[in-house]
Amino acid sequence: MLNIQNLHAEVDGKEILKGLSLSLNAGEVHAIMGPNGAGKSTLGYVLGGRNGYAATSGSVTFDGQDLLELEPHERAAAGLFLGFQYPVEIPGVSNVQFLREAANAQRRNRGEAQLSGAEFLKLARAQAAALGMDAEMLKRPVNVGFSGGEKKRNEMVQMGILNPKLAILDETDSGLDIDALKAVGEGINRIMRAPDKAVLLITHYQRLLDYVQPDFVHVLAGGRIVRSGGPELALELEREGYGALAA
Amino acid sequence: MTVLDLPSARQEAWRWSDMEALRAAAASPQAPAGINPADLFLDIDGPRLCFVDGVFEPAHSRPGPVEVTRQIAATDHPLGSLAIGEGWALHLGAEHAATCIQIVHLGTGGENHVPARILLADDAVATLVETFAGTGWANRLTAIALGKGARLMRSVRLVQTGGFVSIRDEAEIGEAASLVSIFLGAGGMGSRIDGALTLTGKGAFAEMGGALLTSGTQRQEAAVAVRHEQIEGTSRQIWRAVAADQSVASLAARVEVARGAQQTDGEQSLRGLLLQRTATVNLKPELEIFADDVKCAHGATVGELDRNALFYLQSRGIGEAQAKALLTHAFVTDALARIGEEPVREAFAADAAAWLEAAL
Repeated sequence: MLNIQNLHAEVDGKEILKGLSLSLNAGEVHAIMGPNGAGKSTLGYVLGGRNGYAATSGSVTFDGQDLLELEPHERAAAGLFLGFQYPVEIPGVSNVQFLREAANAQRRNRGEAQLSGAEFLKLARAQAAALGMDAEMLKRPVNVGFSGGEKKRNEMVQMGILNPKLAILDETDSGLDIDALKAVGEGINRIMRAPDKAVLLITHYQRLLDYVQPDFVHVLAGGRIVRSGGPELALELEREGYGALAA
Repeated sequence: MTVLDLPSARQEAWRWSDMEALRAAAASPQAPAGINPADLFLDIDGPRLCFVDGVFEPAHSRPGPVEVTRQIAATDHPLGSLAIGEGWALHLGAEHAATCIQIVHLGTGGENHVPARILLADDAVATLVETFAGTGWANRLTAIALGKGARLMRSVRLVQTGGFVSIRDEAEIGEAASLVSIFLGAGGMGSRIDGALTLTGKGAFAEMGGALLTSGTQRQEAAVAVRHEQIEGTSRQIWRAVAADQSVASLAARVEVARGAQQTDGEQSLRGLLLQRTATVNLKPELEIFADDVKCAHGATVGELDRNALFYLQSRGIGEAQAKALLTHAFVTDALARIGEEPVREAFAADAAAWLEAAL
């Protein structure tokens, strides 16, 4: 589904990713772990298409398409979802308005029929309920005044509504208490655990992996994958620290 | 009027004014506007008045309680004092109400001047929507006096395709009375929205604010002074400016609190958004306070669209232009949210959205 080959990328003229290669197949959950500054968030932004995060060489294909050629909103329409470490507050735009625009923009891009207001609300309410988010919060401005946990639940509600093929979740576990962590983990499993979907979890700690069992774990250090293994690798990292493994 | 004696940019209160655009509009020849005035009214029931080039048009009007009358300007304001001749007046007796009054001003070129007077006796209520369309120089003076407990909600939209609109409001707001005036500048004209509001009674409420949207080489400005003369008054000046291309949007807001006007609650929020770095937003917040038990919140900021927010929207599937429009609209919405009647608020929001679609 996602195939990254020898990816190099720069931020502000500084090379952060230095030859990263990684392949994800449908039905798989991969975790990328690594110390601070290893390039984890940069990888998420490069895949999402953020301005200023430029791939300088290498290739990324998503379902056979050249992902790096697409604008950020086209990547979303193609089925990619980027979960933010710090979801952005947008005063003056309600969650409902934002998500309906997003869902319908994606549908337009794919040549599908638009969702009516009623159809959308039904979908949004169901997803909010599944994540334990009060439906009233859908009417509030996007993430404004939300706690850290509420913001991350809101990311999962968005993911549920947009129903992507591939989710890249950047430190989705940061800033969560144990209940929110559990809700978010269950959300990931419910929405994304399917034979035609895949997940790339970018995380610093092993704790989210207690709820979302990865099939593969990779260690990112110095801008490339330095080690790959099964779920046991995450436990080893937790025990030994990154120092020993990344060296 | 052959020779215009206009303020110069050397005067502090007029330093951002575009008097050249005003002169050009005044000198522009009249030409058919190609606009049916009937199309400029919102689809809401209520009295209607139409002025074409400053002349009352009975065919498109049903004035109800509003009188069409000649008036003499009682002001020394350099532009307001030019607004003499035929105009309109709304006088409501105690506890009377007149809602959803619409006044359409259509210009076809040249200059036109219309004075207006709104007098609301104790506990009277009025709501009013004004629309400026077409072109030419439209100059208006509106004198407002609100008795005890009277309430006036006024929404004004400037959607002329070119020319210039100058508005001068002079208001006296009595005890526990409330005046809310919201302006939207979303056309291609230059503008000067000028207000002097005085809270003359205890516990009065005055609000004047809105949004100015500029593009091309257009210049729009608002210059408002609110004076608190009595205790327990509240005032709000919430303005948003969005400037694209080489345009200039300027906001000057002043709060004066007289000696003894204790427990005044004043709020000033001036915010500018630059859609391109070639555009200019000028902000001038001013406070002059002679009482000691006063709350005056004030903020003035100019910035660009938040890149994080833009990427966040894009990453969810919203294209760049639409994402910018959504964020810019949200920025403006604050200032228009104060319009009380839903159909009017929606019409103003639609004008702002149409402007954004053209500018982005």
